[in-house]
Amino acid sequence: MSQGEIIAGLLAPHPPHLVFGENPQQNEPRSKGGWEQLRWAYERARANLEAMKPDVLLVHSPHWITQQGHHFLGVEHLSGKSVDPIFPNIFRYDFELEVDVELAEACCEQAADMGLTSKMMRNPNFRVDYGTITTLHMMRPQWDIPVVGISANNSPYFLSTEEGLEEMDVLGKATRKAIEATGRRAVLLASNTLCHYHFSKEPIPPEDMSQEHPENFEGYLWDMRMIELLREGKIQEVFRLLPQFIDEAFAEVKSGAFTWMFSAMDYPELPGELHGYGTVIGTGNAVMEWNLIKAGLAKAA
Amino acid sequence: MSVVSAFLIPGSPLPYVQRDNPPWGAMADALDKAGTALAASKPDVIAIYSTQWIAVLDQLWQVRANPTGLHVDENWHEYGELPFDMRTDTELAEAAIAATDSYGIRSKGVDYDQFPVDTGTIVASNFLDPESQFKSVVTANNLYHDWTITENLGRVVREQAERLGRRVALVGVGGLSGSFFRQVIDIADDHIANADEDAWNQRILAMMEKGDIAALADACADFAQQARAEMGFKHFAYLLGGMGGDFNGAIVHHYGALYGTGGAVVEFQL
Repeated sequence: MSQGEIIAGLLAPHPPHLVFGENPQQNEPRSKGGWEQLRWAYERARANLEAMKPDVLLVHSPHWITQQGHHFLGVEHLSGKSVDPIFPNIFRYDFELEVDVELAEACCEQAADMGLTSKMMRNPNFRVDYGTITTLHMMRPQWDIPVVGISANNSPYFLSTEEGLEEMDVLGKATRKAIEATGRRAVLLASNTLCHYHFSKEPIPPEDMSQEHPENFEGYLWDMRMIELLREGKIQEVFRLLPQFIDEAFAEVKSGAFTWMFSAMDYPELPGELHGYGTVIGTGNAVMEWNLIKAGLAKAA
Repeated sequence: MSVVSAFLIPGSPLPYVQRDNPPWGAMADALDKAGTALAASKPDVIAIYSTQWIAVLDQLWQVRANPTGLHVDENWHEYGELPFDMRTDTELAEAAIAATDSYGIRSKGVDYDQFPVDTGTIVASNFLDPESQFKSVVTANNLYHDWTITENLGRVVREQAERLGRRVALVGVGGLSGSFFRQVIDIADDHIANADEDAWNQRILAMMEKGDIAALADACADFAQQARAEMGFKHFAYLLGGMGGDFNGAIVHHYGALYGTGGAVVEFQL
């Protein structure tokens, strides 16, 4: 078995509105569209993913919150109907996915070896969270690539932001080692919004784009500053600013996916490809890609 | 009198899914006792506010006539499933939704097949009404609602129940102190993770036992902050609003640890 490698990482936010706007067969509610800039951004990301031919997609979701450790989906086949508890009017999605249990177990064991509390989720009746499902649908609506789902341990909220993100850094390193050891060609998906200030009322209809704009100007400015740095590949500077960004823009990256992904990729000072930016109920969302094949840091299939 | 009984209970699934662990079994026994007391108060409806049903847009109310399903807790999945089979008092829920406007709260009903009913609501329903004798009204914890708004939710339930002639058992579902063990522990040795928080829990429960509402009003904000009480202890705000800001005392059926956090089964004397 050849050594596995991470071939790309993507910032892949999970507003269920994007699925709602697309009207896929799996989602029960129907819309007249909406959030096109972000959906078109995902179309570009989908095309690149197709070309990469990964063995597995790993997604870290802030909507699978766990207190005791970092959990990994550990059932080969999971299916059901995911109804978003916050937006049940727009997201009622029939999902069916295959889990790369061998890799998930390797990640779990490696995390434990590196001092983290970790646990496999073995219950076949478990309902996969809507963040994981939305990100996976937007990246790969065919659902034909196995996945590893990782929970968001709430350490950045229970401890300090810095202490919590240190754990996510360790989780990233553990993930990389597991991928290398199992020979997988893996794509990482950080399911995070940037600025997370949002409106408290929903437009009627929800897809009325005349109502959509950044909720908070300072938060928007922060998003633009961070995206510029990411586009320039100034990753070290991004992580220097990250705690302040989280604090001042109420950024969802606090939950850890962004740090996990960059840690797993060893924080490459590599310009990210911005596929698009847009707001969803006022929050800031960017779809961005760090393609390690194009950068010569990973092998093509 | 519309409110005939009121209870504060923890929403952790551990007493339900792992009753044979002595520390959690004691909590389960206390929840059974609360269920017996609730039934004795002969309510028409159980009105639940659960900290674990999180909302961020609007105040959500369950209006599906018969929410049923099988839930797996996102953290404690290894202990098995939580089945639920509830019957909603849709008339009272709709009345509450309409009435919140007058308190400046925008509300919305949820009526969806397989809507993810939260662990706390299921634990409350299964322990306090194991035979599914009573209808329920269930409302969410909007993260952006403060103590006063949450008190008003309880008040709305009380007022609308009175208007419709319902006898209501109020149930606030949530924990006391919030520090938990982040690592795997020997569950037979579960205990409150932080001594200062333990002291805070006992102080708050003593105030409840005495019915010292003035002292509670002074202490709750500090308790919430210093003991990391679950969700700002808003489940008690809901109860206080629903009880009209008054009760005579309380019986603490049990106080104990749930993986380091504090939990108590409290029956208020009205």
